Amino acid sequence: MGQYVVQRLLLLIPTFIGVTLIGFLVMRLAPGDPAELRAAGGLGGAKDASVSQDKRGVVDEALAQWRAQYGLDKPLHVQYAIWLKNLFTLSFGDSFKDNQSVWGKITERIPVTLKLNFWSLLVVYLVAIPLGIYSATHQNSFADQATTLIAFVLFAVPLVWAATMALVFICGGDFYYLFPPGGLESLDAAANWSWWHKFTDQAWHLFLPVVLLSYDGFAGLSRYMRASMLEVLRQDYVQVARAKGLEEGVVVFKHVLRNSLIPQVTLLASILPGLIGGSVIIETMFSIPGLGQLGFESVLSRDYPVVLALLAVTSILTLVGILISDLLLAVVDPRIAFGRRAQ
Amino acid sequence: MFARSWRLILAILLVTGCGDKSEVKVADVQPAVSKEEAGKPVTGDWLVYNLESEPEQLNPLTSSDKYASDVLGNIFEPLLTREPKTLELKPYIAAERPMISQDKLTYTFKIRGDVHFQDGNPLTVEDVLFSIKAIKCPFVNAPFLRVYYNSVVDAEIVDSATVRIITKEPYFLNESQLGAILQLPRHYYDPENLLGKVTVRDLTQDPKKLSDEVKRFGDNFNKNFSRNPMGSGPYIFKTWKTGREIEMARDRNYWGNGKQGIDQTYVDQIKYRFITNQDAALALLKSGGLDFIERLTPIQGVRGTNSDRFKRQFQKFEYFVPYYSYIGWNNDHPIFRDKRVRQAMTYFTDRKQLAKTIMFGLAEVVDGPVYFFRPEYDKNLYSHPFDPKKAMEILKQAGWKDSDGDGILDKVINGKVTPFRFEFKIPAGAQVSKSTSLVLQDELKRYGIAASVRELDWTIFLDDVKNHKFDTVIMAWGMPAHEPDDYQIFHSSQAANKGSNHVSYKNPRVDKILEDNRREFDPKKRIEIYQEFQRILNDDQPYTFLFARKNVSAVQRRFQGVEVYPEGLKPPTWWVPLPEQIYGLVK
Amino acid sequence: MASTNSTTRDAVTETTEAGGLWSDVWQRFKRNPIALTGFYVVCVFVFMALFADFIANDKPYYSDYKGKSYFPIFRSYLVGLKLGKWPAELLNVEFKKLEGAKSFYPPIPYRPSNINLLEPLEPPSGRHWFGTDKLGRDVMAGMVHGSRVSLSIGFVAVGIAVLIGVVLGAIAGYFGSWTDLVISRFFEVMLSIPTFFLLITIAALLPPSIFLTMFIIGATSWVGIARFTRNEFLRIRNLDYVTSAIALGGTDRKVMFKHILPNALAPVIVSVVLGIAGAILVESSLSFLGIGVPAELVTWGSILHEASTTTYAWWLAVFPGFAIFITVLAYYLVGEGLREVLDPRLRGLR
Repeated sequence: MGQYVVQRLLLLIPTFIGVTLIGFLVMRLAPGDPAELRAAGGLGGAKDASVSQDKRGVVDEALAQWRAQYGLDKPLHVQYAIWLKNLFTLSFGDSFKDNQSVWGKITERIPVTLKLNFWSLLVVYLVAIPLGIYSATHQNSFADQATTLIAFVLFAVPLVWAATMALVFICGGDFYYLFPPGGLESLDAAANWSWWHKFTDQAWHLFLPVVLLSYDGFAGLSRYMRASMLEVLRQDYVQVARAKGLEEGVVVFKHVLRNSLIPQVTLLASILPGLIGGSVIIETMFSIPGLGQLGFESVLSRDYPVVLALLAVTSILTLVGILISDLLLAVVDPRIAFGRRAQ
Repeated sequence: MFARSWRLILAILLVTGCGDKSEVKVADVQPAVSKEEAGKPVTGDWLVYNLESEPEQLNPLTSSDKYASDVLGNIFEPLLTREPKTLELKPYIAAERPMISQDKLTYTFKIRGDVHFQDGNPLTVEDVLFSIKAIKCPFVNAPFLRVYYNSVVDAEIVDSATVRIITKEPYFLNESQLGAILQLPRHYYDPENLLGKVTVRDLTQDPKKLSDEVKRFGDNFNKNFSRNPMGSGPYIFKTWKTGREIEMARDRNYWGNGKQGIDQTYVDQIKYRFITNQDAALALLKSGGLDFIERLTPIQGVRGTNSDRFKRQFQKFEYFVPYYSYIGWNNDHPIFRDKRVRQAMTYFTDRKQLAKTIMFGLAEVVDGPVYFFRPEYDKNLYSHPFDPKKAMEILKQAGWKDSDGDGILDKVINGKVTPFRFEFKIPAGAQVSKSTSLVLQDELKRYGIAASVRELDWTIFLDDVKNHKFDTVIMAWGMPAHEPDDYQIFHSSQAANKGSNHVSYKNPRVDKILEDNRREFDPKKRIEIYQEFQRILNDDQPYTFLFARKNVSAVQRRFQGVEVYPEGLKPPTWWVPLPEQIYGLVK
Repeated sequence: MASTNSTTRDAVTETTEAGGLWSDVWQRFKRNPIALTGFYVVCVFVFMALFADFIANDKPYYSDYKGKSYFPIFRSYLVGLKLGKWPAELLNVEFKKLEGAKSFYPPIPYRPSNINLLEPLEPPSGRHWFGTDKLGRDVMAGMVHGSRVSLSIGFVAVGIAVLIGVVLGAIAGYFGSWTDLVISRFFEVMLSIPTFFLLITIAALLPPSIFLTMFIIGATSWVGIARFTRNEFLRIRNLDYVTSAIALGGTDRKVMFKHILPNALAPVIVSVVLGIAGAILVESSLSFLGIGVPAELVTWGSILHEASTTTYAWWLAVFPGFAIFITVLAYYLVGEGLREVLDPRLRGLR
């Protein structure tokens, strides 16, 4: 087991390099010069294609100086190597936008994204698992068929549509005002509010984003849960347990459940990066200052240090997530032989 | 069972969420108090408003985005500002307007003796000199600001209340630019006085010759002052919650309190909330979470803010901002080299209808690069109407016809049969540019002109514009409201080296006019010069000028003293009568 | 795990009755009413995409003008294919404005690009069944023609994904050992890249074009298909009939493509159908964010994009979103139906 872990950890390194190298190349080879963007005053003018005449005095030397400052004038492979080297000292550099430490910017936003994703995951699992269990144990009943259909329907609802409909119909505007159209908390959220008050206020703000982020998750996961439970229910040992005279409830909970939860655990690893990606849309539409929004903005403003750092962080999280779920799988199901099982 | 528990959780969230009424302050807002009843300005209350994007940082010199300058404008003060109504220069930190030498090269400023910074320290001529040095220091990460002060060759302290600045060449805007230098406290931004020994003249020399101390100053300045600005202005920076808001508190000991000619401020706290989604911002305004939105979207201005309820709570202001949009024809392009073609294109553009539809009526057609309200603006300029027939006539005279029956006009240019095909380049996300290009494309199709539209990421777009890699662009210029100087935009020398004359417009007479304008210090003469300039441009049509834009702002009615000036609104000067104040006092 | 007997039996069925297999699949598929409905919906959209020019067009089917008969829509196809020319009197003409012309128009007499600044943002009405957008363009026309974009992106993107995925998976599964190890690591790298992020990056940074969008969606979504193919190849490779084919002297390529591949395709087919739905979703997200799609093109996602900034124009949000939803749902239903038919014991495919 130990050897397996070490082997996997070592394999992480080339994968990590592969991911960040691809990201680095994509960003740097794409057209667009961050120096020019700085000169024009950042992304602010993009919305109405305007450049302030204050910014018109741009000179090549100024641009060259700016580029030299960030080492952008060195050849590409040197830049990548320098970035990798700096990783070891955990120094991600400074953002082009405001010279703030990139690491600082990321750590500022991690709690927000984490909160959003944690609640989404929670909702996904809390809804999907029971639903899946119910469906499997009452297979082909009306409830089962109805939930299957609903799961499909939910799965097919495009996130952009659901979010837009929400903003149009229930977040103020011309129709109803049930939820705030953005932000993490009310304006006058003071430090001296009771914990409960703060909690409900944030819950109200996060409700829609969480629901939107998780609805396709729990549709999908409940299907998986159902399928895997059905699979297990068919197994011989379940028949044996029933024959032994054990109560159905005990059969389900003690034997079936544990074994059907296995695949759900492995899914955790694949849901995670999806959440961070899906957040981009939600965070942008609901003005939530999370990592997704940071990533999108940084890509648009060619803030290379931030983009690369985000890429590094998310890929490590993903890789570690995959590793953990593989390990968990191995722990939970001793039948699985390391290294030789079908991936 | 499990299935029920999640429903229960959702129900709880729903119920408690809806029960939270802290953001809803609708029912009990009183109607606006009239000016007489309002009485004299009092302090108190907060002003909460919306910045469409989070500023990148609050370093007074290195930050280059306009959201930062909004915030910094309350913290730092310049030597000279402008009269809000007439836009004449007036002294601020300077005691009076500078004395200008005969040769127009030397500016001597007398500094007020009663100014102090927010930490109590007095503002002295040392700080004034420091502020100049900081800009000129090549290690400070403000290359784009520094370029403006390339003409400053030296500055020195004459006595305890006088500073003298020497410039390279006469330029009528020098006074304004020098006056705009924000006054930074030396003891705060350069506690070790690293710039003490170096002179402004030294700083204009080769950076390699500068000492390590100067370099250290630059590094320190760039790194450590992004979120802690401190100046002499009426508002003290308090906190910055990333991604959410910036808070500023009124300085009760502000040096300018009660002084003549200095803007008085009353609101105890200003909060800037960053809300990028403008519909979310409007919803927040309606529910009491914001007091003021500076820029409603045209749709919101025209539609989302007209209910009786809204009018009872908010005042709306429509006013012009110094800004104009235009279609830039690449004057070097074989098709657009010919000014008749450019004129024709302007006749093809239904600017009036576009202003009504795309801009929702919140725009005025303009025919030149000068701000509407400036005396230099020539009101008698010929405004090209929407006249496709005339456009076709002009094109025919210029030699365009469909010689091969494929439905597209063509002409022999440089020996080649050239079809009238071109591409509009617009930045992604720019609604007006996109709409204008699509409308034009549709219109031109009917007359045998094939236009395509290419949308590019903003950064790439800027690149292409600078490198003149385009047929046509649709963009806008944001201008200052003061005296115009379009040298960098229309002078032929600025067409090379990625200057701002990206359409490569070259007209020798215009060149001379612009050069003369720079050296002319008599405003009346400049007006004459500029009128000729506009007439030539009107004939040459290097741009098809589109619109001057109107802003629509909404302000909660409890604020008094809200007035519209040529440069916009001035929120810090507003105040709320005591009985209507909502937010508590800042401790 | 199936016993060897049934494996051989499966193998025999798989090889010898390929033709019979697919008609059998269709028979069984037909018995699932929900999946069948999905299939019909897909057909409707495909029809709409193919015949968009005949459903929504500002040119009439037939026009009787000045005594002569014209068939403008057909002629526009001819001209487009460079097989014909417009007669001089019809060049660049607006048919609706032709005086004295008797014309028969398609049910939606607009093209999505017809701008009408006098009717911006109109709610659904008799003139415009689904309303108009801010430039006065008819929303319904936009939706009909938008189906072309969505479907073509879906098919091509998935086509690319299948190409890359099947080839890589086949090679990995067939050759095994080192080849497999290296290629599988590559799979992992691709999986670890936050795909949506990469998509947004590339789409935002490069000049927008449909081909680019198709390509990058395809290039970032092939991993699932690759893994299935690999698994199938790994499984089938050890079956008797394959080993005998090799023993009989078949080249690697022949064995892979003639013997193994047709039988490995079952999970791939399902992935294809689901992949089309996925690609449509991704495309709508991209054009919603305003990237990847050229400005002049009207797609379902681009109309939604306008809806998000013009929230009172609910018709901009409801209709295109609903179209995406129904299309995606239909594909899912078909995919699920296929999966149940092809192998009810296949698990973990989602």
